[in-house]
Amino acid sequence: MIDFSLLGFGQGGWGAWLLAGAVMTLVVTLCALFIGAVVGALVAAAKLSKRRLWRVVGDTYTTIFRGVPELLIIYLIYFGGSGAIGAFGNLFGNKGLSPPAFLVGAVGVGLISASYQAEVFRGSFMAVAAGEIEAARALGMSRLLRFRRIIVPQVWRFSLPGLGNVWQLSLKDSALISVTGLAELMRQSQVAAGSTHLYFTFYVAGGVLYLVLTALSDRAFGVAERRVARSFRGSLGRG
Amino acid sequence: MDFAFLADTMGQLLAVTPLTIELWFLCILIGGILAVFIAWGRVSGVPVVSQLCAAYVFVFRGSPLLIQMFLLYYGVAQFAEVRHSFFWPVLRDNFSCAVLSLALCTGGYTAEIWRGGLQAVPAREIEAGRAIGMSGFTLFRRIIAPIALRQALPAYSTEIVLMMKSTSLASLVTVWEVTGVAQRIISHTYRTFEVFICAGLIYLVLNFLIIRALRAVEHYVSPHLRDRPRPLLPGAPPAHAASPIALPEVPR
Amino acid sequence: MTDSPALSVRGIHKAFAGLEVLKGISLDAHEGDVISILGASGSGKSTFLRCINMLEIPDAGEVTVAGETIAMKPKRGGGQEPANQKQVDRIRSELGMVFQNFNLWSHMTILQNLIEGPVHVLHRPKAECVAEAEALLEKVGIVDKRNAYPAHLSGGQQQRAAIARALAMQPKVMLFDEPTSALDPELVGEVLRVLRALAEEGRTMLVVTHEMGFARNVSNRVVFLHQGVVEADGTPDEVFADSKSERFRQFVSGLHA
Repeated sequence: MIDFSLLGFGQGGWGAWLLAGAVMTLVVTLCALFIGAVVGALVAAAKLSKRRLWRVVGDTYTTIFRGVPELLIIYLIYFGGSGAIGAFGNLFGNKGLSPPAFLVGAVGVGLISASYQAEVFRGSFMAVAAGEIEAARALGMSRLLRFRRIIVPQVWRFSLPGLGNVWQLSLKDSALISVTGLAELMRQSQVAAGSTHLYFTFYVAGGVLYLVLTALSDRAFGVAERRVARSFRGSLGRG
Repeated sequence: MDFAFLADTMGQLLAVTPLTIELWFLCILIGGILAVFIAWGRVSGVPVVSQLCAAYVFVFRGSPLLIQMFLLYYGVAQFAEVRHSFFWPVLRDNFSCAVLSLALCTGGYTAEIWRGGLQAVPAREIEAGRAIGMSGFTLFRRIIAPIALRQALPAYSTEIVLMMKSTSLASLVTVWEVTGVAQRIISHTYRTFEVFICAGLIYLVLNFLIIRALRAVEHYVSPHLRDRPRPLLPGAPPAHAASPIALPEVPR
Repeated sequence: MTDSPALSVRGIHKAFAGLEVLKGISLDAHEGDVISILGASGSGKSTFLRCINMLEIPDAGEVTVAGETIAMKPKRGGGQEPANQKQVDRIRSELGMVFQNFNLWSHMTILQNLIEGPVHVLHRPKAECVAEAEALLEKVGIVDKRNAYPAHLSGGQQQRAAIARALAMQPKVMLFDEPTSALDPELVGEVLRVLRALAEEGRTMLVVTHEMGFARNVSNRVVFLHQGVVEADGTPDEVFADSKSERFRQFVSGLHA
């Protein structure tokens, strides 16, 4: 059923092709998550704001980016970006300028992940004990110092499990970037399958690689969470 | 704002909205039932069955829906045996193939949700059922399942809303639902923003209606969680607890 | 010893949602004073303490620490607010506060908790801060816990760590907000011993407390608040033995009931 030599690395083997796709998937998802973290932090701040206007802005963002299909959002950025950049390029006499697929993909998945990351950050922020922030105020720490030394480290620790979920979600969403032609794993599987007409082989291979990526990510986050939980763990024998 | 274009686009999109709804409804139905069996297999305690079901969940939750769909639509069709088999009419038709793929995917996620619900049933309530002489299917039907369903409702509501978004992938196996038609209009007219607004609006409204409906269901099945009705002036409504339904959450 | 008080508080008023909790409290604390602040729940004693370091902003009144008054300016909609946040931060660093719930930073070890303020607010060299922190931990009796996380310590140990953290800032005045109220009875003693040692050292302390023994035997002044007003103010002998305040006698007898 599956000719394994086709998955190999030798002549006529597509192994390297697929692995390159897997690497691209990881890279584009990582960039997407960074973009999402920045935007997500801003959206979380908006949602926690005392001003109603900001809260509405934040809520609107999450409603749109969690309610509208991811594919549609990627089309928006791809075709919309295409139009904008093409027009921009025309100003300089450069016709046919199109947005790099990587950027479209990273921004698209990034903006989507931002709405989930915002919820994670918001929950983590509210979980930071008010008493600890008060102690920092009582010590004379300025707002910036409190934020940097007390709030950010705590929010980061509490966010880890939620961010693990967002990572997994984004890893799978990244398959949709294939519609832009970016050479990530889905696209590579598609090209290999179309080229050899061995659709089953290559979609299974691609699927297996995705499973490897998600399983490894699961492990990595598990390790990170355990390390961070060291300070949460209950007392080791009360004195 | 070119209202004529917006109106025309809206018209085209609304025409295929029923298809989107059909996709969503069928995959939820089939996937939900499939998930019952998978969850049952997982908690069954029979090693091989339990492991197979766990593997199912791992595969369908660990890989992108898109590759699952392509595998089913293009990959399985490759084999002559399949083309001559009983399943061929389903797999050949892109709509039913899409429904099947969506159902298999949501089956994996929903199985975990059902399993969570089952595990959340307090042992003491099952014990009480046994104490009055219930066992087997009766115990399951009257005690375990109702409690498990109520516990699973918030997570299941989230899953249902997420599946509405997932139907958009059917456009990539040439099912002309809302996203597919939207993409076609964009590629002809390049008026991305206007089309996006129309299509986005349709999905947002659908989500809104679904969430409302689910809140009503949740409210209806949880009178035991609401505040005790206070003896008030006649005509005054009793206080209600806040609905535990959350907007689509992260875990997927 | 200077003549001007270490801490001077004048005319503090504070209302929450229309309800006036503090109705004009004034207090002077001279160096070495150990003042116990007593009162029933809702009498405003914690609020009063928190107004001193501006964790709550008093609607009226002023606070002067070691001769420096915290500058206030009128707020839109009534009341007032600090005119200079930097001054507030600086004065807060000169006041040490110990909370009922310890409020240690859970993501840092005990030692890190202690050096956080000195290093990042006072900008003192780290090595110096670490050495001093260890000495303080020794003093309160938990130096072996320096690398442990707060969650691993008992309540009494956490509160002692919190006291050491406040001491690490070398404060002019220490504020204690019900330091033993959240502790199991058998752990109260170890914290009170530390408080007593600090008092005997000559520290200026304001202690909101329910511990009558401490108020009678360790403090040199007792202030009794009732419904936002100072009902009694004097030495422990004056207030306990010879109180002219009917309410105070009721309060004390109520506690022992």
